[in-house]
Amino acid sequence: MQLGEALRIIGQAGTEGERTVHLLCGFTPLHFETFLKAHLALRLPKNAIRLRTGLYGDLEGNIQRARKETADGAVVALEWSDLDARLGFRASAGWGQQTLEDIAAQAAEKCGRLANGLAELAETMPVVVAGPTIGIPDLTSTPPSQANSLELELNSVLAQFLKKIGAHRNIRLVSAGALGMASPSASRHDVKMDLLTGFPWTALHADAVAEISVGCLFPAEVKKGIITDLDHTLWKGILGDDGVGGVSWSLEGKSQIHALYQQTLASLADSGVLVAIASKNDPALVREALKRPDILVTDARIFPIEASWGPKSDAVGRILKAWNIGEDAVVFVDDSPMELAEVAEKYPRMECIAFPPNDPAAAAKLLTTLRTRFGRREVREEDKLRLESLRAAADFREQGAGENSSDFLSRLDAKITFEAAGADKRAFELVNKTNQFNLNGARYTELDWQSVLNRAGGFLANVSYEDRFGPLGKIAVVGGHREGEDCVVDIWVMSCRAFSRQIEFQTVKKLLEHTGARGIRFRYKATERNGPVNDFLTHFFNGASASGDELYLRAEDFNRLCPSLFHQVNDQWTVSPKN
Amino acid sequence: MDSVTEKLNRCFAATFPTLDPGKYAAASVENLSEWDSIKQLTLLTVIGEEFGREIDFEEFEDANSYEALIGILQAGQVR
Repeated sequence: MQLGEALRIIGQAGTEGERTVHLLCGFTPLHFETFLKAHLALRLPKNAIRLRTGLYGDLEGNIQRARKETADGAVVALEWSDLDARLGFRASAGWGQQTLEDIAAQAAEKCGRLANGLAELAETMPVVVAGPTIGIPDLTSTPPSQANSLELELNSVLAQFLKKIGAHRNIRLVSAGALGMASPSASRHDVKMDLLTGFPWTALHADAVAEISVGCLFPAEVKKGIITDLDHTLWKGILGDDGVGGVSWSLEGKSQIHALYQQTLASLADSGVLVAIASKNDPALVREALKRPDILVTDARIFPIEASWGPKSDAVGRILKAWNIGEDAVVFVDDSPMELAEVAEKYPRMECIAFPPNDPAAAAKLLTTLRTRFGRREVREEDKLRLESLRAAADFREQGAGENSSDFLSRLDAKITFEAAGADKRAFELVNKTNQFNLNGARYTELDWQSVLNRAGGFLANVSYEDRFGPLGKIAVVGGHREGEDCVVDIWVMSCRAFSRQIEFQTVKKLLEHTGARGIRFRYKATERNGPVNDFLTHFFNGASASGDELYLRAEDFNRLCPSLFHQVNDQWTVSPKN
Repeated sequence: MDSVTEKLNRCFAATFPTLDPGKYAAASVENLSEWDSIKQLTLLTVIGEEFGREIDFEEFEDANSYEALIGILQAGQVR
C-alpha cells in the first residue's frame, strides 16, 4: 500500500465503537503511524480507530506510560537505537573500542528493563513487538562482509530478550521471516529521512511492519477444516491406474512435495484442524492406500473420507454436513482446475486452492498459505478432542436416527459440567468463532472481554459435555448479568458439535436455578448464520420466529415448555443471586 | 484542468481530507493550520507516489503553498 492509499483508507474508516491502540517506539512514528492506522481500519472496518503515540527517544518511558491508559492493544516498534542511542545514525558519541564494549553492556541492561516493562504492559493488554528491523550500523574495524564480535554479542542479547518476552502469554513477536518476505532488509532504512526527521524507515517498510503487526494484534478468523483431493495432490500418481504401491510421496519418487503436504496436513490435524478427503476414486482402494505404512497423514487423522465417482461438490456437501460447519470456514485443495471450479460454483464462500504438483516452489508457497489460514497461537484440549467428537457425533446421529429422540437421549449417560469461565481463554475463543448457535453474533476484543469479566453483577459460565460416545470438552459459554428480578443474557454460544443433546435447555434451567430470576431477557439478534439459536428461541415463543432485540422468557413458561432432560449435572458454577 | 493540477489535487485530497477542494488553490502553510511539518512530509511523500518520482525534501523546503508546489511541479523540477 502506498501512503496516499493509506490516507484514503483512514478517511473512510468506520465510526462505531472506538478502538484504541498504543504505537510505542523511540523514533518519530511519521508514516508508520499512518500505515498502522490504515491497516487497523482495514481489519476493523466498522470501528473508529485511535492511535496513541509517545515521546521521541523514550521507548522505555512510553511503555511505562501506556500501562496507565486503557487500550485494545499496543504495537511496539523496536530499533537498535532504543537499546543504545549510539547504535542509531542520529548519535555522534564516537565508535571507539571502549565505546563499543560499553554499547554491548548498555544494550543488555536496557533489554532487561524493556522486558520488565513489556511484561507489565502485557498484563493489561495484548502487545505486539516488532524489531529491530534495520541493521546494526557498521561501527567496527571489521569489514562489513564479516560478522564482528559486537554484532554477534548484540544479536545474542537480542535473541535472549525476544525469547524471554515471547514466552509471555500476551506478547506476540512479529516474525522476522514474514517481515523479510514483505520487506527486503536492503530496502528498509531511509537514511535521509532518518537524519532529516528521525523517522528511519522507507514507506514500503513502514507499510509491511504495520500490516504484519495488525495481523498479530487482531488475527483474522482461522479456518476450521481442509478438504483435500488425493491423486496428484496428497500423492503423485493416479491410484486407479498406478495402484496402491504405484502412487508416491518421496524424494526417490520425485514426489517429495506431496510428503511435505501430507506432513502439513498431519500437523494441522494435530492442532485440531479438521481434515477430510474428497476424491473420485474406488473407496476400497483409497482405504488400502491410506493404510500404507509410509503414509504421513494416517486415516485416523482424516474424517470423513469421501471417495466416490459422483461430483466433487456432492462429496464436499456431505463433508460439510458431517462437520456441521459453514463453507466459509473451509479450504478445498485439488490439482484439477475443473474440480476447483465446480466446487467454487456450488460453494462460493469456500476458498478453493489449486495444488501445483509440477511446481515445487508454488506448492511450498501453498503450505505457507495453509499455515496462514489455520495458524493458531495455542492448541487447547478441545482442539485435540474435535476430530474424535465429530466421529462420535456421526455415530450419535446414526444410532439415534431410528428411535424416539427421548429414549435415545435417556440412554446417552450424558454428563454436563457448569463452571465459572473466569479468565479461561477457551470461552473467549469460543465466543469469537461460533456462528450457528450464537445469540447475537457479537465479537469481542480482548479489552471488551476484560470488561465482560469485570462487569458488576455479571456471570460467565463454561459448559462441558460428555456421553457414552466420548467427551466433547468445553462446548458452550453463557454470560450476562442480573437486572432487578430478571437475568439478562447477552452472551450465549454453543459449538455445533454439541447440537441435538438438549444442552441449551439444561443451560437455561441451570441459569434460572442459579440466579433465582423471574425470567431471562435474551439480547438476541438474528444473523445470517444463527438459525439454530433462532430455532431454540422459537420453541418458547408460540412458534413465532424470534425477532427483536430482546426476548423475555419467564421462568414459569420455560418450566412448562422444557422437555424432559436426562443429563447428569456436575455443577461447579456459583452465581451471586443478586447484585 | 491539466494533469499536474489533477494529480496535485488528489494529493491534497488525501493529505487534507477535510479541506474544501475549492480552497486548494489558495492553501498555504500560513492559512491552513493543519499544514504543519508532519503534514508537509506526508504531502511531499504522497506527491512522490502520485508523480512516480523521488522527492528531494530539501528542494521543496520553501514549497509552502499549493501555488508554489504547482510552480515546481509544472516546471518539471521534481527529481
